[in-house]
Amino acid sequence: MKFIKKSPLFLILLLTGILFTLAAAAGRSSIYAEQEYDILKAPLLSVLFAGINDDLYPWQLFERDAVETAALKEAAEPGDNGEEEPPKEDGPGSFEDPEPEITPEPARMPEPVRTPEPAPTASPAALPSAALTQTPGIPEGRLEPLRESTREEYLNHISADIYGDAGVLRAASFAFSRVDESYFDDALFIGDSRTVGLRDYTDLAEHADFLCETSLTVYKVMEESFKGYGTVEQVLAAKDYGKIYLMVGINELGRGTTEDFMAKYTEVVDALHELAPDAVIFIQGIMRVSGTKNDSDAIFNNGNINARNNAIATLADNKQFFYIDVNEAVCDEAGNLTADYTHDQIHLLGMYNELWKEFLLEHGVA
Amino acid sequence: MQTIKDRADFMVNFSGMEFVFRFFPVFLLVYYAVPRRYREFVFLAGSYVFYAAGELVFLPLLAGLTVLNYLVGKKVKEHEGSYIVYRWQKAKRRRLLVLSLVLDVGVLVLFKALGTFVDNSLLPLGISFYIFKMISYQVDLYKGEIWEQTGFVSAALYFSMFPQVVSGPIMRYNDAGDGSRREYSLEHFEDGLKYFVIGLGMKVLLADRLGILWNDLQMIGFQSISTPLAWLGAAGYSLQLYFDFWGYSLMASGILVMLGYEFIENFHHPYASGSISEFYRRWHMTLGSFFRDYVYIPMGGSRCRGSRQILNLAVVWLLTGIWHGNGLNFILWGAVLGILIILEKMCYGRLLARLPVIRNLYVLVLIPLTWVIFAITDLGKLGIYFGRLFPFIGGAGIAVNSQDIVRYSQNYGGLLLAGALLCVPAVFRFYDRHKKNPVIILLLAVVFWYSVYFMASSAGNPFMYFKF
Repeated sequence: MKFIKKSPLFLILLLTGILFTLAAAAGRSSIYAEQEYDILKAPLLSVLFAGINDDLYPWQLFERDAVETAALKEAAEPGDNGEEEPPKEDGPGSFEDPEPEITPEPARMPEPVRTPEPAPTASPAALPSAALTQTPGIPEGRLEPLRESTREEYLNHISADIYGDAGVLRAASFAFSRVDESYFDDALFIGDSRTVGLRDYTDLAEHADFLCETSLTVYKVMEESFKGYGTVEQVLAAKDYGKIYLMVGINELGRGTTEDFMAKYTEVVDALHELAPDAVIFIQGIMRVSGTKNDSDAIFNNGNINARNNAIATLADNKQFFYIDVNEAVCDEAGNLTADYTHDQIHLLGMYNELWKEFLLEHGVA
Repeated sequence: MQTIKDRADFMVNFSGMEFVFRFFPVFLLVYYAVPRRYREFVFLAGSYVFYAAGELVFLPLLAGLTVLNYLVGKKVKEHEGSYIVYRWQKAKRRRLLVLSLVLDVGVLVLFKALGTFVDNSLLPLGISFYIFKMISYQVDLYKGEIWEQTGFVSAALYFSMFPQVVSGPIMRYNDAGDGSRREYSLEHFEDGLKYFVIGLGMKVLLADRLGILWNDLQMIGFQSISTPLAWLGAAGYSLQLYFDFWGYSLMASGILVMLGYEFIENFHHPYASGSISEFYRRWHMTLGSFFRDYVYIPMGGSRCRGSRQILNLAVVWLLTGIWHGNGLNFILWGAVLGILIILEKMCYGRLLARLPVIRNLYVLVLIPLTWVIFAITDLGKLGIYFGRLFPFIGGAGIAVNSQDIVRYSQNYGGLLLAGALLCVPAVFRFYDRHKKNPVIILLLAVVFWYSVYFMASSAGNPFMYFKF
């Protein structure tokens, strides 16, 4: 009693702390099973808070299908094992070792978690390319990967260059033509914060529509409801677009393998095509990061970006799907985002988005 | 202030999970488990563990300076004399003081220079703060102002105590004392916890979130921000800095209160000030009083000719600028403040004091502008920013999006309003009157766990939120 009167806040924090810890402990084997946790660095209750960040709430413990929810969640977000940390960690030594999860079922590793519904690409290497093209009207002749990601690459969040530059070379063989700004009158741009910069710091938004949001990923792009627009599906149903420009991929680095990313990216591109069969789809290579970032970041580096660009470039058929790489316009000789063009080593400074726009004007499909 | 930001990922960050849920609870248990007479020792040991976790390589420097300062101080105390103080004793004490000052200031200047001209990593953790405490200790001993016992453990603890070693406040030895005046009670502990929770909330829920605004402006490039956004940015940065530092000071002092010490006030609602001089009597008060007591007054302070007084103020503000960071902008920042304060003293201070609302506006406009100088280390970019603030003096801007203010005021309006509200002293008077009210206590518990939510999901790194 004395305690309650004299030190109520301390008591409340102590009791809620114990409660949260118990909840976290209870959910350890179900809803929080996928959370990374280091007992030396943080209390057990931190998984509960990290869970909330992933839309996992403690009361789901009491829901009958809690376990299934968690399982679905895990499946729906490949490689995102609740570990929000990897992107900020620098140096391979500091990665949490997902060993405990991996070892019991090593078979899962090379092609980690997949989408639950019959995935268009189970394992790109294992299936004939015809199997990739489920949707009628999707052009054939997509390139196959040369190899699979290795276990080491997966564990170290390295995006393996499994396609080589064949796709990039084929895409570059197309003769793009110079267009004027009216070209963008029926264009739709879809992308992450980089595309936000293109929208806000060039006059392209006077012509084109933009569905873009900071931290957008290929995993979220079809579900996201864009402020003032709605979902991609709604937008494409409401207006006939002649061109769709897509740039996502930087946020996905460190998550899953090149195969995972490619599978989802293929699904999204095919879905866009299905929703807007007449639109030309511009697959934009992920913009690289600066040399400083490249040299200091184990995840957000240009090796990983180039590997994924090599993958998505293979989707270009130079008829309906085109691959263009803005890095040609904004990188230095070493292939890094030019240092003067960026403050945070990742985004173009407002004024340099003009280079991107200029590049797009040079890369129209007549 | 620089030091906190550069080392945000260590355990030494009070708003990190490791500190709040690992180091501090364990330390508290040990501290309160041992008998009173060993608590200073436990505190000292804990402080060394803390410092070692932050920056092991420079621990010997702290320890070495501690021993030297203790030994010199001991000699000074021995020659204090009793009823009769001999001339030779006075001279000896003076020589010892000079020796210790040369040592302490020399080491500080040396490492500041290394940090500035060689590599930032050569600037030892918290050196600006613990050396200032050593200087304060020596001068107070020399002046005979320290009445408490100055045992080795007490002195070493004063220099290195973990709540203050990284970023202050710069407490005086007399405020720490020898441990005989501690108040160990549940009520006192609860008070300390409340300070800590409020400070944590300010840091995590306000400062860290507002920090993203300033980073966005840098990402866009100052040449491309609209004039309203430039002003919003200046306000945002001012509030960020305030709650970062005030929050940190509250956490540090809250911890000390939880350990039985008295509360050390470091900020007293500076934004309610009516002049720049007053602002700096209420902002980082322990630093201001350090410069007042150990630089300004020994030089003659205000009790001398006008020109000498100007010189004294100029010296203090130049030193303040240099102390805050290694960059020309910090000197410029100190110089601008020095000039404003001199002008207030010599020209319009009295007039200003008679103009109630105007004097507040004067502070609220000028102080954020000085923080912009503080924030931007690149003088070229600083020029661009001022060009955007005052476009009529020739800052046209490139690729400016005139609508940017709409989006940013939507995203940050709530935080800015909350911050502005906490600049009002009446809010805290209300809190003081009702701090035992169950609603307030529940609110604090919510602030704590909401902060923990951000800490857990960002793992101490606010920039996690900056997904691309």
